[in-house]
Amino acid sequence: MADTDNATNEKKTTKQEPLIQLIVFRLGDEDYGIRIEQVKEVTLTPEIARMPKTPDFVKGIANLRGDIITIIDLEERFQLRSAGTEMPAVSYTMAIEGKEYTIGIVVREVPQPLSIPASIIEKAPEFIQDINIHDKYIEGIAKVNGRIIVVLDMLKLLTPAEIMQLPAKS
Amino acid sequence: MKSREEEYREIFMVEALEYYDAMSRHISELEKNPADAAALNELFRLMHNLKANARAMGYPAISEVAHRMETIFGLIRDKERTFEGNVVPVLFTGVDTIGEMIRAVGAGNELPSADTLLANLDRLVNGEEPILEDQPEADDDDANRKLELSDLVYIQIKKLDHLMNLVGELIIDRDRILTLSKESDSPALQATAAHLFRISDELQYSIMDVRLVNVGSLFNKFPRVVRDVAAAEKKDIALEVDGQDIQIDRNILQIITDSLLHLVRNAIGHGIEAPAVREQAGKPAQGQLTLAAQTERDNVLIQVSDDGAGINVDSVRRKAVERGLVSAEAAQQLDDDAVRAFLFEPGFSMAKEITDISGRGVGLDVVKLAIDSLGGQLRVSSTLGKGTTFTLVLPTSIAVKGALLFELDARSYAIPLMHTDSVVSLQPEDLHVVGGLLLAEVQDENVPVVDLRRLLHNGDGPLPPANRHELQGRQDIIIVNYNNRKLGLIIDRFLRQQSIVIKPMSKPLDTIDLFGGVTLLGSGQVCLVLDVPALTRLFLAKRP
Repeated sequence: MADTDNATNEKKTTKQEPLIQLIVFRLGDEDYGIRIEQVKEVTLTPEIARMPKTPDFVKGIANLRGDIITIIDLEERFQLRSAGTEMPAVSYTMAIEGKEYTIGIVVREVPQPLSIPASIIEKAPEFIQDINIHDKYIEGIAKVNGRIIVVLDMLKLLTPAEIMQLPAKS
Repeated sequence: MKSREEEYREIFMVEALEYYDAMSRHISELEKNPADAAALNELFRLMHNLKANARAMGYPAISEVAHRMETIFGLIRDKERTFEGNVVPVLFTGVDTIGEMIRAVGAGNELPSADTLLANLDRLVNGEEPILEDQPEADDDDANRKLELSDLVYIQIKKLDHLMNLVGELIIDRDRILTLSKESDSPALQATAAHLFRISDELQYSIMDVRLVNVGSLFNKFPRVVRDVAAAEKKDIALEVDGQDIQIDRNILQIITDSLLHLVRNAIGHGIEAPAVREQAGKPAQGQLTLAAQTERDNVLIQVSDDGAGINVDSVRRKAVERGLVSAEAAQQLDDDAVRAFLFEPGFSMAKEITDISGRGVGLDVVKLAIDSLGGQLRVSSTLGKGTTFTLVLPTSIAVKGALLFELDARSYAIPLMHTDSVVSLQPEDLHVVGGLLLAEVQDENVPVVDLRRLLHNGDGPLPPANRHELQGRQDIIIVNYNNRKLGLIIDRFLRQQSIVIKPMSKPLDTIDLFGGVTLLGSGQVCLVLDVPALTRLFLAKRP
């Protein structure tokens, strides 16, 4: 895989620098990354049962190998999708393992693994807040071969308070 | 179903065999190190416990041997005898004899005679030399001695919980396989699936059965509670306990423990009057409190009854109006059952003044919540001056519940049968609009009816006033019942009645109390299980 080769080359040039593995996925027009240890599995999005009385970006619950997990749509959550467009009929779900529960995140395309040296993740600049993303979820921004990848800290994003209380603000 | 005596005997056997094992171990330790004070104390304690248990169970022979052994170990402990010489074989024989006697009890055989042993033990106590017989056969016995393990095992309840969860998953997958096999054309697969169905059904019931305990294991703690509370309240109470043999899931019993304690304390503290008051009212000075269990269909009913002052419905009615739970006019219309239901309202009972309503109350809402969490029901009936009965309607087992499946917006939902009253199909002209609410007459009773779709998806505002012209054609309505309040829910289509395994709602959505959990259908589809208490509360809060 091309990404892996890249990573190996970088590893050589940066001399034993610790690598971190990311799962990279697309939301809106941007690339986002999650550390691989936070991702339990990637699967075709299972059938989702809509949950009444939840914020819109909470798509509902689904059966993932006998576990009932909550499915959320980060494009909707971050308002990264222009009004009217919907998720495609076939989408993918990344199961993210939080401290107390697993949550599914729907994405349009198959997420890809990518290894990068930890040092190329830069702290997120202040202006990020202008695009409706609360900066505390953003661990940093990585530049890889001209691509910009926003690295998210899912554990902070997936607290029950974040998921359930956000609609009250809007 | 086992009788209580049989259950006690089995428990005695298990404990006695454990004592015997521990005695064998400790006496061997003592032989190696006669100064081992810990082993000596243990032996003394074990003998003492065995003596008490055997006497209580009606095995005087075992009790007698244990008593003399205890005496000698006491003497050794007090340094009046030493564990050496001829004392050692006598005491070893003593432990062996105890083992034989316990095994004889277990096998239902006649107990072996212990006369020689008892005589030797007496000689030791009196400071005489024991008469040791040469018993070569005894050596043979020792060499051929069988090692025996207890027939009962103790299991941590969490292991049983795990098994229960696993079998729940299995049932779900089984239903799926059954559905798939019916779609396939393979008779072999269908036959195997049918077999799998039967086997897993049996497995599930076996595991449920393993978790069942006698209600008596909780009831038997109450004579003491009643005695203590009665003494503190200066009341004279006779407790009658009935139906101890009824079986129920151990965890359900655990969850209702506090509720039962609460109801019993309430009955003694506030229900049953002081002896002088009772005599004035022409009742016997001694109050009667009854704890009873019985089965009713798939449920277990537990009743706490007293012959006390009863609940003054008019006082409750007044209180409910004062607290703004109901308007004064509406309160006059409510029947007694509906009024007594206010006692379970959260906060209703918090006020101290409630004690004048025969004091029912402190925390009855908590009792109600505990019962609700099990999918059970709490009922109260009362006759002023005659007494009050609280009835807990409980499922026998936590895992499997009967449910009514229905469809709404092309999705399946389930409502536990425990809370469904009836299902009706009505034409729009059978429904009337009163005060912005739809009303249906069902079995001579006016029941408010609401479109479930509206109730679930209406956002945070109140429901818009009902309009009969929006209703097209036949309406399928499920009448649910909670706390004596009936509510009709308009749904798209009835599906079927089915036993379901409810999985608790996973975090973080567990804060949405409208759903008691989810279940997986045979198709693998996720089905939300509606929580009728929460739904009723939502309706009351949102009604136009």
